[in-house]
Amino acid sequence: MKKKTLMTKDQQRSKSRNLIVIGILGLLIIIAFMISMNTGYIKLSPLEVIRTLFGYGTEKQRLILFEFRLPRIVIAVLVGMGLAVSGCVLQGISRNALADPGILGINAGAGLAVMLFISFFPSTTAAPVFLLPILAFVGAGVTAVIIYALAYKRNEGISPMRLILTGVAVAAGISSIMIVLTLRLSPENYQFVATWLAGSIWGSNWKFVLSLLPWIVILLPFVFSKARVLNVLNLGDLTATGLGASIEKERRLLLAAAVGLAGASVSVSGGIGFVGLIGPHLARQLVGSRHQFLLPATALAGGFLVLVADTIGRWILQPSEIPAGIVVAVIGAPYFLYLLSRLKD
Amino acid sequence: MSILKVDQVAIGYSNALIIDDLSVSIPEKKITTIIGPNGCGKSTLLKAISRVLKTKSGAVYLDGRAIHQLQTKEVAKKMAILPQSAEAPAGLTVFELVSYGRFPHQSGFGSLKKEDYEYIYWALDVTGLMEFKDRSIEALSGGQRQRVWIAMALAQGTEILILDEPTTYLDLAHQLDILLLLQRLNEEEGRTIVMVLHDLNHASRFSDYMIAMKDGALMMEGTPEEVMTCLNLQSVFNIDASIATCPFSKNPICLSYQLFQKNK
Repeated sequence: MKKKTLMTKDQQRSKSRNLIVIGILGLLIIIAFMISMNTGYIKLSPLEVIRTLFGYGTEKQRLILFEFRLPRIVIAVLVGMGLAVSGCVLQGISRNALADPGILGINAGAGLAVMLFISFFPSTTAAPVFLLPILAFVGAGVTAVIIYALAYKRNEGISPMRLILTGVAVAAGISSIMIVLTLRLSPENYQFVATWLAGSIWGSNWKFVLSLLPWIVILLPFVFSKARVLNVLNLGDLTATGLGASIEKERRLLLAAAVGLAGASVSVSGGIGFVGLIGPHLARQLVGSRHQFLLPATALAGGFLVLVADTIGRWILQPSEIPAGIVVAVIGAPYFLYLLSRLKD
Repeated sequence: MSILKVDQVAIGYSNALIIDDLSVSIPEKKITTIIGPNGCGKSTLLKAISRVLKTKSGAVYLDGRAIHQLQTKEVAKKMAILPQSAEAPAGLTVFELVSYGRFPHQSGFGSLKKEDYEYIYWALDVTGLMEFKDRSIEALSGGQRQRVWIAMALAQGTEILILDEPTTYLDLAHQLDILLLLQRLNEEEGRTIVMVLHDLNHASRFSDYMIAMKDGALMMEGTPEEVMTCLNLQSVFNIDASIATCPFSKNPICLSYQLFQKNK
């Protein structure tokens, strides 16, 4: 209508280009989903997978797909989305391209909570395992609150720079506590903690999907609705205030949303750190820095990354697995270095 | 008529008090320039006027109402700010950045409405940026970039424009370019403009009203003729200035100056 005629050709072109990019990312997730459904110890042909998905498979095929592979895939995608969007929000409010959920001590806090639990209740029976996500979430939240409180200054509020520095310091402190704690662990508990910290989609169970889903379903739309605010916060405090954004309030809300997203994700996936850094960077390369497009693209890029990483991790050393966090880092680090080398000029 | 009124404010960071008990009124529909030596608190005063910095005591009144009690979004509909060094995120086009100026008028997901487009195109037009609207900001020169930020502030559609050293880092022609634009906005649209300038001659030539500060205090205020005198410049900047009349605008200008010899 009228709105369209007011847009210049270039704007229309860039808008439709961005929408196509987002569509392609969605398509990639679907392709990765199909491949991932076919990946595992028991081979199923694509046809069998499709048949089973539509309810025509055998009992055994249904069990494999619906009880083992599907929840794991869903978790991988949700975790990727949560961490990547959390990273994107943190990069936006701190105006620092290197910010990711790790700097808020979320990984460290969750890891410490898990470790404390394991070292004091070493028996990994069924009940405690289901307690772990809750504990990890609490650990992540408490750490984020501590960092926020330490970085907060009366009259001046929270400065992004102080937040990052405080986060780095607190995370380093927590890491050293964890190293001391590992000395007390038995080998098999150590193995579990090490895998957890590396970030693996270990909770492949519908219960974990249910514990993660509400966070994503509520917080992603909330963050998307703040796209305009993030755009403006990106211009710096002075400009943002001048434009009428209540920066302190918005920053606190967005920070809480980022903690919620990352905390919930980390609680089921362990410390997959790199997605929060690389997801937003990848998306920014594709759709630019306006958050209306950047946030959805980031979510899809993150979901895709973790799904691919988890699939590769399951497939490459069959029948044993490599934690998805390690695969993400192995793929992500070289790509990130490539991005940095391109950014220089 | 004064549109902005600063009433006995004290302003400072953490412990250091930079301005103590300063009162001044900004006239409506005029160009007001704050001058003073480095560190005199002129930027600080500008930040307090634009509510970026909270006052420790006293208050700033916008249209007779205390600015800190107003909704920040409501203030943003009346007053736009151009900070000293603004930096755009990578990859943004001119149009996109200027469109951010519509922020206080938008709600929800913020797709641009017809009125928003009108303001944005008007702002691009006045600043002479129409042909660059789809360019990436990084690809522009310093002078063009500064105009993009001014265009963003203009797109905000406010009566008051506050600018902190809008001509810094620009060459002579571009400095004049920006100031002439501001003058036009003031004369044709009746916008109130408050700015900090370092160049005294520019301040004198383009201002209706000048405010001179030193050590966080108001030294003098008035028309350029009242403020730009040898004696005043001596007490504010500690310089021995030779004042002449500008052949173009007939305002007093500082022809040249020297430092006073320190006699010991």
